[in-house]
Amino acid sequence: MNGAQHILDAFHRHNISTVFGYPGGCIMPLYDALVDDVGVEHVLCRHEQACALAADGYARASGKLGVCIATSGPGATNLITGVANAHRDSIPMLVITGQVPSGLIGTDAFQETDVLGMTLGIVKHSYLVDDADSLPAVMEEAMTLAQSGRPGPVWIDIPKDILLTEVAAAPAPTPAQPTASCPDLTDAIALLRAARKPLLYSGGGISLAHAEDRFRAFAESSALPAVVTLKGIGNPGKHNPYNLGMLGMHGSRAANKAVDECDLLLVIGARLDDRATGKLDGFAPNAKMIHIDADAAEINKLRPADLAIRGELNAILENLTGALTSKPLTIADWQRQCRTWHTTGGFSAADNEEPLAPITGPAFIRQLSRIAPDDTIVACDVGQHQMWVAQHYEFDHPRHHLTSGGLGTMGFGLPAAIGAQFADRDSTVINVTGDGSFMMNAQELATIRRYRLPVKLIIMDNQCLGMVRQQQELFYANRESQINLDDNPDFVAMARAFDIPALHIERTDQIRRGIETILAYDGPMLLHVAISREDNVWPIVKPGASNTDMIDETRRTSKANKEQVA
Amino acid sequence: MNPQSQSSTPSYTINCRMIQEAAALERLCQVVRIRGFRIATMAVETAGEHLNIALTLEGTRPIAMLQSQLEKLHTVAEVALGSNSVARSRSA
Repeated sequence: MNGAQHILDAFHRHNISTVFGYPGGCIMPLYDALVDDVGVEHVLCRHEQACALAADGYARASGKLGVCIATSGPGATNLITGVANAHRDSIPMLVITGQVPSGLIGTDAFQETDVLGMTLGIVKHSYLVDDADSLPAVMEEAMTLAQSGRPGPVWIDIPKDILLTEVAAAPAPTPAQPTASCPDLTDAIALLRAARKPLLYSGGGISLAHAEDRFRAFAESSALPAVVTLKGIGNPGKHNPYNLGMLGMHGSRAANKAVDECDLLLVIGARLDDRATGKLDGFAPNAKMIHIDADAAEINKLRPADLAIRGELNAILENLTGALTSKPLTIADWQRQCRTWHTTGGFSAADNEEPLAPITGPAFIRQLSRIAPDDTIVACDVGQHQMWVAQHYEFDHPRHHLTSGGLGTMGFGLPAAIGAQFADRDSTVINVTGDGSFMMNAQELATIRRYRLPVKLIIMDNQCLGMVRQQQELFYANRESQINLDDNPDFVAMARAFDIPALHIERTDQIRRGIETILAYDGPMLLHVAISREDNVWPIVKPGASNTDMIDETRRTSKANKEQVA
Repeated sequence: MNPQSQSSTPSYTINCRMIQEAAALERLCQVVRIRGFRIATMAVETAGEHLNIALTLEGTRPIAMLQSQLEKLHTVAEVALGSNSVARSRSA
C-alpha cells in the first residue's frame, strides 16, 4: 500500500465511513485511491470551508470523528475557519491536507503554504509527515488524540510524494482506552449538602464526554435547579421542571438571577466563557464553586474553584447520582424560588393573535419547536436567529442543537446541517439561518441537490446584519454602519435554481402552514421568512457588563435609558 | 514601553521538556504568546528525541495558567516552574 491507500485503510479500521473533502493537486494520490474504495463515502462540498464545517456538524450530531480533506495552499487555508470552529468548541476532527512534495517545501512552490505553522493555534495537535513509514503511527495517534480527553481537531499535512510512497511499516496498534476511575467526591457531596441554594451549571462538556444520559439521571435525581450554557442547551431535557434555561448575555432573567443568588455553583463540563459569565467580578458573587471538568487547564483559569475535580464525567456523575439518590438534598424553598423565577423571568414570547401581523423571530421559533418532531436536529448560524433558537426552541438532547458557540462562525449552519444529515439519514435536519449567514456558504445548496439531502432550510430574513444592527442601536448611539442587506437576492428563486423548492411567508397566519409544508415535503425545501428589520434579541447584557445589568425591551426606548446603558 | 511598568512585570523561569518534532518550538512559543507572556530569554538543548528548553518569561497573568496550557500540548513531557519564579520583578 502506498501512503494514500494506507490512509483509507486506517479509515476502514476505525469505521470511518463518511468524509468531506475537495480535491486538488497535492492531494490527488488520495483521491486516486478513493476511486477503488467502496467503503468510504466521500462527500464533495463546494468550498473547503464547508468541508470542515460539514465534518464538524457530522461529529456534533453523531458523537463520532469528523473527517475533512483538502489540497495544499488555498485548499488548506480555506479549511482554517472550519477547523478553528471545531477547535473552539472541542469537536473531534481529523484534517488531512496534501502538501507540495518534500523536496519543494520551503521553495515557494505552486500552492505551497506553511500549513503547520499557520494552524498551530487552532489545533489540538498537528503533524507534517516527513517519512512514509511514520504514517501508520501518525494516523493512529491522530485519530485517538482527536477523540480522547478534551476532543479537538488534529491536522495531518502530507507531502504528495509521501502519499505515493510504498509504506513498509505495518498498521500501528490502536492504543487501549484508559479505564476511568472516579476521583474522591466526599468534599463535593459535603458542599452540596451544606448548601441552601445550590445551582447546577452545565455546558458542552457533557456531550463531548458522551455523558448525556448520566447527566440527565443526575439532574433528575438531584432535582437541582439548573442553568445551561449555549452549548449545554438540551442537557437537562425539555421536561426538567428545574431547568431555567440558558444563562449569560442573552440568557433568561431567571437563569441569571439564580446564578446571582445561589450559594453553591456546581459547574460541570463548562469553561466559564465570557458570554456566559458576563463581568467576572459580578458573577455568582455569593457562591462557592465546585468545578468538574475533563481538562485541567480549564479549572481555575478564569475563576478559582473552591473545589476542583478533574476526571471522566460519566464516572463522576454516576457516583454523584448514587450519593444524592440515597439521601436527597433538602432544598425545597430554593427549588420553589427558582420555579417562581422561571415563571416570571423565563423566556417567553406571546403568539401573535393578529393573523396579518408581521412575523417575529421568537414567535416563529416557538411554533417551529412545537411542530417539529422531538428528534429534530437544528443547525443554526450566527446572529439574532441563533439566539432566538437558543432561547425559544425546546431541545430534549444537546446533540439536537448544533451551534457555533466559541468562534461564532457565520456560515456554519448550512454545511453543519449537511454533515448532520449524513450522520443520521432518517432524522429531520433543519438549518435555521439569517440572510447574512446564509450567503456565507450558500454554494452548499449544490451539495444538498447533488446528494438529494432532505435538509430543511429556514432563512429568517430581516434584510440586515441584525445582531450588529442591534448592538449599534443600543451601544453605538444607533449609528448604523455597514449592516444593510436590502439588496439581498431573491432567495426563493435562488433555491429553485438549485432545484430546491421554496416558499415565502411574511404574516403570522402563514407560519404554521409554512413549517408544516417544508417538514412534510419529501426532500430539501427552503422557507423564506420575512421578519422585521427592527426586531431585537431580549434580554441583552452589554459586552463586559455584569449579568445583573440585563437590558430588556422596556428599558431601551428612551434616550435617557440608552445613555444609561452606554 | 514605559520602563516603570516594564520593571514591575513579574518574571518567571520555566523548564520544559518536549518531543522534538516539526514546529516544536513554534508550538511552545505560540502558547506562551497567546496566553499573555513575553519571552525574555530562551535556551534550547537537544537530548535524544527530546528538547530541553529553559525560558525566562514576563507577564502579569497567573503563571499557573500558562503552565497548565503548556502541559496540555501533546508533545510536552514536563513543565517545571523555577524556584525563583515567585512574582520576581525585573528590577529586583
